[in-house]
Amino acid sequence: MSSRHCRAALVVASPLIAAAMVAGCGSAPAASTTPAVPAAPPPLATSFADGTGPGWAIVEMGGSAAEENNFWEMFTRQASSAAWRLATPLGVADNGGLVATGTGGESLLTGFLPSQDLTFSPLAASANSGASWSPASPVNAGLAAVPDALAAGPGGDLIALTSGGAELGQPLGTSWTHLSSSRALAATPAGKSCGVAGLTAVAFGTAGVPMLAASCGHPGVVGIFADSDGRWEPAGPAVPAALARENIEVLRLAAVSAGLVALLRAGTGPAASVVAAWYDAGKWTVSAPLRAPAVRSTAIGPGGSVGIILNATRAATLAGPGGSWHALPALPKWAATLALGPSGQANAIAAHGGTFTDWRLAPTGWSRVQTINVTIPYGSSS
Amino acid sequence: MPGMNSGLNDNNGILVTAFRAALLHQGLIVLLIFGVLAVAWISAREWLRPRRAVRSAVPEPAWRQLLRIGFGVIWIFDGLLQAQPAMPAGLPSQVIEPTAASSPGWVQHIVNWAGTAWSYHPIQAAASVVWIQIGIGVWLIAAPRGPWSRLAGLASVAWGLVVWVFGESFGGIFAPGLTWLFGAPGAVLFYCAAGVLIALPEREWHTPRIGRTILAVMGVFFLGMAVLQAWPGRGFWQGTLHGQPGTLTSMVSSMAGTPQPALFAGWVRAFASFTAAHGFAVNLFAVIALAAIGASMVTTAAGRGPAWLPRVTILALIAGCLADWVLIEDFGFFGGLGTDPNSMIPIILVVAAGYLALAPVPAPAAEPAAAAERAAAGTASAATQPAAAGAAAEPTARRLDWRPAQLARTFGAASTRAVLATWAVAIIILGTAPLALAQASSNASPIIAQAIDGDVAPLNYPAPAFTLTDQDGRQVSLASLHGKVVLLTFLDPVCTNDCPVIAQEFRQADQVLGAKSRNVELIAIVANPLYHSIAYTRAFDSQERLTGVPNWLYLTGSLAQLQQAWKNYAVAAQILPAGGMIAHSDVAYVIDAQGHTRAELDFDPGPGTASSVSSFAVELSDAAQNVMKSS
Repeated sequence: MSSRHCRAALVVASPLIAAAMVAGCGSAPAASTTPAVPAAPPPLATSFADGTGPGWAIVEMGGSAAEENNFWEMFTRQASSAAWRLATPLGVADNGGLVATGTGGESLLTGFLPSQDLTFSPLAASANSGASWSPASPVNAGLAAVPDALAAGPGGDLIALTSGGAELGQPLGTSWTHLSSSRALAATPAGKSCGVAGLTAVAFGTAGVPMLAASCGHPGVVGIFADSDGRWEPAGPAVPAALARENIEVLRLAAVSAGLVALLRAGTGPAASVVAAWYDAGKWTVSAPLRAPAVRSTAIGPGGSVGIILNATRAATLAGPGGSWHALPALPKWAATLALGPSGQANAIAAHGGTFTDWRLAPTGWSRVQTINVTIPYGSSS
Repeated sequence: MPGMNSGLNDNNGILVTAFRAALLHQGLIVLLIFGVLAVAWISAREWLRPRRAVRSAVPEPAWRQLLRIGFGVIWIFDGLLQAQPAMPAGLPSQVIEPTAASSPGWVQHIVNWAGTAWSYHPIQAAASVVWIQIGIGVWLIAAPRGPWSRLAGLASVAWGLVVWVFGESFGGIFAPGLTWLFGAPGAVLFYCAAGVLIALPEREWHTPRIGRTILAVMGVFFLGMAVLQAWPGRGFWQGTLHGQPGTLTSMVSSMAGTPQPALFAGWVRAFASFTAAHGFAVNLFAVIALAAIGASMVTTAAGRGPAWLPRVTILALIAGCLADWVLIEDFGFFGGLGTDPNSMIPIILVVAAGYLALAPVPAPAAEPAAAAERAAAGTASAATQPAAAGAAAEPTARRLDWRPAQLARTFGAASTRAVLATWAVAIIILGTAPLALAQASSNASPIIAQAIDGDVAPLNYPAPAFTLTDQDGRQVSLASLHGKVVLLTFLDPVCTNDCPVIAQEFRQADQVLGAKSRNVELIAIVANPLYHSIAYTRAFDSQERLTGVPNWLYLTGSLAQLQQAWKNYAVAAQILPAGGMIAHSDVAYVIDAQGHTRAELDFDPGPGTASSVSSFAVELSDAAQNVMKSS
C-alpha cells in the first residue's frame, strides 16, 4: 500500500477509532465474575427476641435517604406482650441507622450510626425496654453499618464494631480499649486461613469471651473467631460440602440464651445461599442452605429461630437447630423485616412513610394486628 | 435552624447588587481608559505630527476576516452573557458542576477546583470573565494584522482553553452521551481553533493549504461524530425506551423546560415530541447528514469531487447547524444560565472560513509592510521585506525606542484600530488584575456569608452572665473572660450538619485572626437538652479537630444551667420526635473585652463548602477585629 493510500485509510479510520474510544468511555466496566469478597454488607433492618428480655425491631421509615429524610425507627415489645411501641431514642439524628443490644433484664443499649458530618456514635441506654432513654458515653469511632455492631456481655461489658475495628468497652461505654482490627485479625494464623476481608459482627461467647465475625476471602472458611487469652482462634462451624468452594460472609452473630446464632451467606449473585448455624454445648449445628440471591433483612427469635426477607415478596423462617427452612406466603406490601415469636410465630413488620404495620401470619394468610403512626421529622436533617 | 440550611440563592440580592456595582465601577474605569487613550492619541497626532505609517499592501484574506470579526463578536456576546445577575453564585452550581457531573472523577476533580476558586471570590471572578471576554472580542475585531492581531488569536486560544477545561469540562468529551447535536466537543474548542488560525503568520494567509487543512480536519470530525451518533446502545436510536424518553428526547425536553420566550420553548417542545415519536428516523437523518457532510469536506479537501460540491455542502451545513441550534441547542444560551451560543455558529464560521480559504488569491506586490499595528504594539516603524513567492511579506519587529518623545511619536503614528486594540488589552488587564489579587489571599470573600445571613447586627448591652464547665472539667464564667473578645455560639455535640460546619468556621476564624487570636476566646455552649455530658463535648472537639485550639472552650453544665443560658441568649433548643436532630437556633454573638454584647450574627452556616466556611470565618474574624478596634 502506498503512503498516500495509507494516509487516506488513516483519515477514514481515525473517526471510527476516535468514536469507538469515546463510546467506550461511556460504557460501564464489566463486572468481575469472581469477586474475592462477598459484596453486600448485612442489611440493617432487623428484629431480635430471645424469649426473656424485650424484643425489638429496627426499620427504616420516612423518605429519601439521599435527602436525609430517611429515619431509622426502633420498636420494642415486652417478652410477654404482642404489642409494639415506638422506642426510638430522642436527641440524635438517626439517618445513618440504629443498632441495639440487650444488656440484661429489661435493659437495652442503642447506638446511632454516623451520618453526614457526625463521625462518632452516640449511645443511649434504657432500663425499661425502651420506654425511656438516657445518654451513655459515645463510641469515638463511628459504629460499623452492620446489625451486630454492638454487643453486651456479662457484667455489662461491651464490644463495638467500628470503622477502625473492634473496641472493648466498660459498661455504658464509659471507656473503650482497642480489641482488634480487620488488618490485625488478618495477620493472625486464624485470620490468614480465612483471608479476612472485613469484620461483619461482634458478640460475646458463652463464657463471656469476645468474638469477632468476618467475611473470608478463602472459600469454605467461616470467619468466626474467639479471643483466647489475647490470641484469636478460629471458632466457626464447618460449612456443608456443597458450599466448600464458596466465599463465606457472616451476616449475623448474636448471643442468645441457648448459645450463639449465626447466619452465613455463601457465594454471591443468583447462586448465593444462606445457612444458619447454632452453637450450644461446645458444638455447632448447621442448617441446610437456602438459595438467597439477595437478603433484605434478617431476624433472630426465641429458641434460635431465624428469619430472612429475600425480596419484596419472599421470606423464609427456620425454627431453630435441626429445623428446615420454611417459605412464607407472599409478604405484605412494604415488609421491612420479620419478627419471630415463641412457638415459631412469624410476623412481618411493614414500614412505609410514617406508618408501621405489624402483620401476623395466620392460617388464612397475613392479617394486620397493629398499626403505629410515627411522626417523621421530615427535613430536620437536611 | 439545623435542617433549614438554604445555601446560596443564585439571585441573592446582596450578591447581585455587589456584582452590578463591580461591573459599574469597572465599566467606568474602562470608559476612563478609553478617554485617556483617545485624548493622548489625538494630542500626540496634533502636537508631535508623527510620520504616518505606511499601510501594508497585503490584504487580509476573507477567511481570516470572517474568523476574526465573527469570533470577536461571539466573545463580546459571551462577555455580555457573563454579566447576567445570577452569574456570581450560579456559574459553579448551574454551569460548572452539572457539566462535570457525568464526567470521570479526575475531570470532576480538576473542574471542581476551578469551581471552588470561583466561589471563594464570586464577584471578582464573574466581573473578570466579563471584561476578559469583552476585551478579547474587541481586540480581535480591532487588530486586523500584525503581531497584535496574532497575539489576539493566541489570547483567544489561551482563554478558550481555560473555558473549555474548567467551564465545559473538556467539552464533555470524557462523559457518556457525547453527541454533536448537543455541542460536542465543546463550543469553545472552535474558538481555540479559530484563534490558532488567526495567529498564523501573514505568509500563511494566502496558501490554499489552510483551506484544505480546515476542511480535512472538519470532515474527519464530522465523520467521527456520525459514527458516534450511530453507535448502538447509547439511546439515540430510540425516541422512548421502556416508557422513558430516549437520550435525545430527554435532552431536548430538558431544554424546552428552561426559562425562555414561549415561542422558542414551543419549537423545542414540538421537536421533543417529534423525536419521541420518530426517534429512529431523527437519528438516522442525523447520522446520514453528518456522514455526508464529513465525506464531502474530506473530498473537497483532497481537491476532488464536482465543482458544485463545496457550495452545496456549506449550504447543507449551515441549514443543519441552524436547525440544530434552534431546535436542539435552544440557541445555546436559553438552557439555564447560558454562557455562550453553543457550538453551531462557531462551526459554521470555521467551516465557512475553510471554504473561503480555498479560493485563489492573487499574490500581493512587494510593498512596505504594515507599520501601524506594530507601532501600537511598541514595535518600530515599518520595515520592508521582499515577498516570498506566492506569500505576503511578514512584518519584522524591531527594537522599541523607549525615549519618551519617541514613544509619544510612535503612539501618535498608530492607527485607530491599534489604539482600540490597546484599549482592549487594557480591558483584559482590568479584568484579570482584581481576580489575581483576590486569588492571592487564601481566604474567601466575606460577601458569601453576608449573602446567606445578611449583615452583622451591631448591639451594645451587657452580655448575660454564665458559669459553666469546659471540656476539661474546669469552671468558666463570662466574667473570667473579661479582657478578651468572645465569639460565642451554641452547638449540639451530636448534630449531623450545621454544628460541625459552624465549628469549622470558628476554627478557621482563629486561623484568620493569626496573632490577634490571643485576644479572642472562641466559645460554644451545648445546645442539646439530652446529650450534654463532657464525654460528648470532648467527642465533638475530637471530631472537629478542636482539641488543640488553645482558645476554644466548649461549655456545658446541668440542664438547668444550660436552659438559663439558652434563655438569656434567646436560643431555642427543641427535641424533635422519632430520630430527629435537636432543633436549635444558629446564632453567634461578639462580646467585647468589657463583657458587652457588640454584635449578633444570624449564623446559618451555609452549605459547608470550603468557600462558605472560609467566608464565614472571615466574617467572624472581621467582627472580632472591629470590636477590638472600637474597644
